Amino acid sequence: MSAIAVARSAMTVSLLRYSRSWGLWLLLLVAPIGARFMIARDDGSGMQVAIGGHLPVMTSATLGMCLGIVVSTLLLPVAFLYLRSNVTRRNPWQVDEVSGGSRAAIMLGRFAADALVLLAALTALTAAGWLLGWQIVTGPFQPGWIALPLWLVAAPALVGLAALRQLLDARPLGRRGIGELMFFILWMASMVIPIIVSERPSSFAINMVDYSGFVRPLVAGSPSGDNDFSIGGGQIKPGRVPLDSERGISAPGYISSRFAWVAVAIALTVLASMVYAPHSAPRRRRIAGLLARMLARGPPPPAIASAPAATIARSPLATLLLAEFRLIGAGKLFRYLAIIAALLGLLPDFRHIGSPAGLLLLVFGLSAHAGRSEARGLRQLIATTYTPPAMRRGALIAASVAWALVMSLPAALANWSLDPIVLAGSTGAAAAVIAMLLAMISGSGFAARMVLLILWYVYLSS
Amino acid sequence: MSNLHLDAIGKTYGGKTIFNGVTIHVPIGLTLLTGPSGAGKSTLLRILATAEKPSRGKLSWKNTPLPAARRQLRRTLGYAPQAVDLPDDLTAREFAMHMAALKGLDLTAADAQFGAITSAINLHGDINQRIATFSGGMRRRLVFAQALLGEPELIILDEPTAELDDQTSGLLEALIVERAAKASVVMTTHASDQLTAHAAASWRVEGGQVTPT
Repeated sequence: MSAIAVARSAMTVSLLRYSRSWGLWLLLLVAPIGARFMIARDDGSGMQVAIGGHLPVMTSATLGMCLGIVVSTLLLPVAFLYLRSNVTRRNPWQVDEVSGGSRAAIMLGRFAADALVLLAALTALTAAGWLLGWQIVTGPFQPGWIALPLWLVAAPALVGLAALRQLLDARPLGRRGIGELMFFILWMASMVIPIIVSERPSSFAINMVDYSGFVRPLVAGSPSGDNDFSIGGGQIKPGRVPLDSERGISAPGYISSRFAWVAVAIALTVLASMVYAPHSAPRRRRIAGLLARMLARGPPPPAIASAPAATIARSPLATLLLAEFRLIGAGKLFRYLAIIAALLGLLPDFRHIGSPAGLLLLVFGLSAHAGRSEARGLRQLIATTYTPPAMRRGALIAASVAWALVMSLPAALANWSLDPIVLAGSTGAAAAVIAMLLAMISGSGFAARMVLLILWYVYLSS
Repeated sequence: MSNLHLDAIGKTYGGKTIFNGVTIHVPIGLTLLTGPSGAGKSTLLRILATAEKPSRGKLSWKNTPLPAARRQLRRTLGYAPQAVDLPDDLTAREFAMHMAALKGLDLTAADAQFGAITSAINLHGDINQRIATFSGGMRRRLVFAQALLGEPELIILDEPTAELDDQTSGLLEALIVERAAKASVVMTTHASDQLTAHAAASWRVEGGQVTPT
């Protein structure tokens, strides 16, 4: 079978799977509905792209650019979340890894399907942008000038995201929770690094640093030509400033850099196929020395053949709470890290050191447990147990709060204050509720981990 | 004597009738379920295990119809489905204790019982290992072991000995026969002399009907 036929087949199968999932249709519905909230109103509500604290005059080109910037920055984690948790997250690797088909062709086919799905959502957003523009733009309504900046900014970022998914899926580490952490770091870097170099003259090389493609249009198009802009939320000053979006996207090297990013995405997918490691059951870890002894679970207690059948617990709810508490903190590593996080609470400024440290650990522990509790393949078995789902979910939330409280105890005792306990309890409860809801919807811990990591960063930096 | 009773049960998927008008009493002891692939054996087991609702008819547990008796039934149910997405990041023991907690069992006693069961099916040496390192046969035995935790009065096993060698199958079958002395055990399996000899009943699922053989 030729490589082209393999790639085409991989793409077709992925697209077929997408088309039969409700997630795709939800995405295509949400994208246009969400467009209204991606453009700030005069009172500052909605997602803001602001220049010097002022909203820009909303011309057709600026509208398209603002939509594109919101997609390529703030909504990129949502797109990543969608790709990693959709119906194509499971593939028959047991058979396709031993098939004669080219690995590069298979991955390029899947990459193309992912990219097409994201671009379909962008098409829906473009249509919504036209409808919005028809109603709100200042000056002439120019559909082409809405679509062009929107696609120039957002499309390469989305295509790059599809490639990044292939790259992370290619290696065992990237397939696990650490893959989400890697994406989170890359996403943060993709927003911070281009701002650092934004004051340098526009060129192809400088614009290639800007994967999200948002810096140059804002800098080159703003009246002052500097990087005094903000994306997201915050206080808005009255009055609007003109933003020359057409000049922004025409900055030297910008358009060519956006096309180059598409080429980089294809190259990244090919690279992913070259570094691809087949799936295999992880070998029992052999970590040398002290670490091995610290993390080793040791042999199980000797079996007693005459052990009687377990009886019903005196308090099934308390037993469930204890079990959930243990499972959130499964493994010795979690417990060692919990001790470190608790000790960090002894440092001054619990709000910015001890509390985020404990919360970060909890994000990983509880999202993993929420995910395994709600895994579709396990749900059928769990559903037949004595414990009703609401009680099980409630116990998970209570056990998460308990972990947060335990880790805040040193800070509370050292300062003889209830504040650390209240803060840890409330953030722990909020994280647990979010994790539970997202795990229920997605059937895995991935979406919960991703969203909680982003919220954790907001909490840390606020 | 029977605790579980099915009255005119039917199941339809997307217009296709899997079975219809099935009326059976599940006896204490071992009941073997046979039939061709795709006949609806696993569907019937899922209905017995309350994992799926029938399209028609009613189930009763100790003379109380479901759903009123569902929690009462689940209190004393051991279920080992054919395909389970086990949490790879947990050890077998952690997973078993998770299931024990969900069954409302005392965890210390359940831990000891899990040790005894896994010892009897040659899995005990691996229970502190992560499930990710388990082979298909080990996973199958783990799912089987969690079904026996506590003292279930109704045990539903879907192909518990698939993927196992004869010797290991024999170990599982010995435990099944032992439990069948006091509980209702319904299972699908390939023909096994040891089990057939101890079976209190044998049903064949075929053509939308469940008939005693």
